[in-house]
This record gives sequence, structure tokens and C-alpha cells, in this order.
Amino acid sequence: MAGTLEIKRRIKSIKSTKKITRAMQMVSAVKMRKAQVATLASRSYSDLAWQIISNLSSKIDPKYHKLLQKPESKIDPKKIGIILITSNRGLIGGFNANLNNVLKKYVEAHELVAEFVSVGKKGREVLARTKQNIIADFPKHDKTVGIKEIEPISEMIVSEYLSGKYEKIVLVYTHFVSTINQKPVIKQILPFTNTNHQKDLPMTTSDEHDKSRPLHFEYTFEPTPDKVLEHLIPRILESQIYQAILESDASEHSARMIMMKNATDAATELVDDLTFAYNQLRQANITKELSEITAGRIALE
Amino acid sequence: MKLKFQIVTPERVVFSKEVDSLTCPTEMGQITVLPNHIPLIASLMPGELVVRHQKDEEHIAVSGGFIEVRPGNDIVILADTAERSDEINAERAEQAKKRAEQAMQQASTLSKEEFAATEAALQRSLVRLKVAKKTHRGHHGSSDGILNQ
Repeated sequence: MAGTLEIKRRIKSIKSTKKITRAMQMVSAVKMRKAQVATLASRSYSDLAWQIISNLSSKIDPKYHKLLQKPESKIDPKKIGIILITSNRGLIGGFNANLNNVLKKYVEAHELVAEFVSVGKKGREVLARTKQNIIADFPKHDKTVGIKEIEPISEMIVSEYLSGKYEKIVLVYTHFVSTINQKPVIKQILPFTNTNHQKDLPMTTSDEHDKSRPLHFEYTFEPTPDKVLEHLIPRILESQIYQAILESDASEHSARMIMMKNATDAATELVDDLTFAYNQLRQANITKELSEITAGRIALE
Repeated sequence: MKLKFQIVTPERVVFSKEVDSLTCPTEMGQITVLPNHIPLIASLMPGELVVRHQKDEEHIAVSGGFIEVRPGNDIVILADTAERSDEINAERAEQAKKRAEQAMQQASTLSKEEFAATEAALQRSLVRLKVAKKTHRGHHGSSDGILNQ
């Protein structure tokens, strides 16, 4: 039977691909749920921590903490440090590509000289391929980690920033909005500015009642400002980086889940189409054979 | 007048409610925050945090962090870890305490960091035990929130 065998083979191969994408979809869905829960649960902490620093940075005398001051001995005001958070694995559609595009546009638009700290394999690969200057690479763990694991990253960033090498430090990651919507964002974490509340970033804790609060007040520190800030500021930075990694995780798994769902759906459709074509062809062959037999019989009479 | 109080850790929101007052261990000693407190930022010590709302008392074990009192009776605690008394498993806390105590006995062999970490672990488990015992006795234990060191 000409042709039918070929179609049969294709159906079989698509079906087995579908099995794989469906399995990946299931796995991603489980990971996604975990990552989403973790992200949403810790958002309050990082938002509140960020509010503290925004509240503080405009009100407090910079002399109390070195990170509130501009580091001296600047080499190049266009030089910035970028922490790029990507995924370890592929098969997520445009997840990493989108992030890289946003990053590229940002760097080009401001004519920045960027140096990178990469978290996640995919980002590192792209940076290496485009011959960017990577000053450090931190492995990204496949499961959600504790905030303790962020300490080395944040410590390194702080000491690099204090050495005066960079004008500012930004985080580049994918913000988790919902399962079907993730957004690449660029967030400045150093120096602290209170105009830093990005408008495009949805805040979970209400931003509005921020404004209704009295603006002129001063904090009392116990025991002393420098002692409190010495612990508080690194903690706040850590929480921002930690949150960015969680957001990126949740986004990654959500994006992959959706991608795999699309692939599974497409495979189902393709199998349906091919089965239809196969049946048509088979029927055509049968009809052809029948007519041949009939024609043969007529010829014999 | 009520206090809007929330206590969060990097992992979750532990408690978020309107309360009447709150007592917590800070670096300078135990403080109680009542409505109309001045804006304040202070470091927390490992210890027991007591939240009062009408006749209810809620005990929370914290292992350090920060308290921010914002204008408008808004209180935020960023804790490193925090557990409500009903969440603590007394048995596990007891075991953790024993482990930490054993480790402390070998103090001479530990490096400075290890020693600090073990000491912190011991303190944490002591606080947790104390808070845990409070629920089992009902809510009327003594409220000396700071560790008896």
C-alpha cells in the first residue's frame, strides 16, 4: 500500500514526541506550582524590605552607612554592573531570548559599558558567545534555595560597588506576573534612590497608602543608626536578589509548562490530521483495488 | 486605636493582623509597642514576641531580624525566621536543643564561625522550646520575652 506506511510511521513518531512533551508538561506544572507559591510567599518580605530602604534613603544622613554614599574614584560613569538571572535549561520558548533583547536594548539606549554577574547557565552561554565581560558566575540551583545561599552574590556585589568600579548595579530578571504572563525587568538595586519604585512593576503590598502617609517624619534607631543599618542594608539587598531568583524560577517553570502544553496540543492536532489523511489514502487504495478486481472480472466474461 | 501588624520572613508571611500591642526583644532590651509610637527601626534579638489583641495573646518565636514602626500605626517585622507557638513541635525543638548543647561541649574544637553558628542554634531552640511550652500551658505563662542567658 503506497504512502500509507510512510504516514503510519509519522503518526507513531509524533505520538511518542507527544508523550514526552506531556510528561514534561506535568513535571513543569508541579515545579511551577511550588515555585509560584515560594515566589508569592516571599514577595511581601522583599517588598516591605524595599519600602524600608526607599523610605530611609531620602531621610537618613548618608554618613551612617557606606552604601548610602556615592563611592569615590569613579572611572567611567557609564560603567554598570549587571546581575543577569536566566534559566539553566532550554525548551522554554522565548524566555531567555526576551530577557537578552531587553538587556541589549537597555545597554544600547544608555550607551553603557556593562560587566556581568551571571546566574543561570543559559545567560552565561549567551554572554560568553557575545564576548561580554563576565566577572563572576554563580550556579543556579534547580530547586528553591534558602536566602543564605544568596549571601556570596550579595557580598561580592557590595564589595565591587564599594570599590567604585561601577556607577550602579542592576538586576535583570524575568518578573512573574501570572502563569501565562512573565515580564523581563531591569531593576536598579544600587545606589538606593527613592525614585526607584518602578512603575511597571506590580507591587503586592499596597503602594497607594504609601502616599497618604505623612512624608515628614524621622526614624529613631535603636541602638544607633550605623549599627542597625550595618545589618539591615545587606539583608535588604539579599532579599532583593533572592526575590529576583524566585521570580525567575516561577517564570521559567510557568513558561515551560505553557510551551509544553502548546507542543502537546499541536501534536494532538497533527496526529488527528495525519490520521485523517491516512484513512483517506487507505480508503482510496481499497477503492482502487476493488475497481481493479471488478475491471478484471468484466474483462474475463 | 489599633496597630496594623505584620511579621514576614523571606519564606512567608507569618502573621498579619490588627493588634492592640506587641512586645518584642530588641538589641537594647525588651520593648512594647503601643499605638502612636514614634517611627522606629531596631534590630531584633532571638527571643519571644508577644502580640496582644483584646484578651488573646499570640506567642511567636523569632531568631533575629528588624522591626520597623512606620507612622500611621503600621508595624512591620522582617524576621529571619519566625514560628507561631502552635506551629512549633516541642519534641523536635527539644532534640535540636540537645544537639546544639552537645556541639557546644566540643566548643574548643570549633572555629569561630562554627561556634557562633552553634550558639545561635542553641539560642533558637531554647526560644522555640519556651514558646512551645507556653501553648501547652495555655496563654498565661510569664511574659519575660528575653532569654535568661
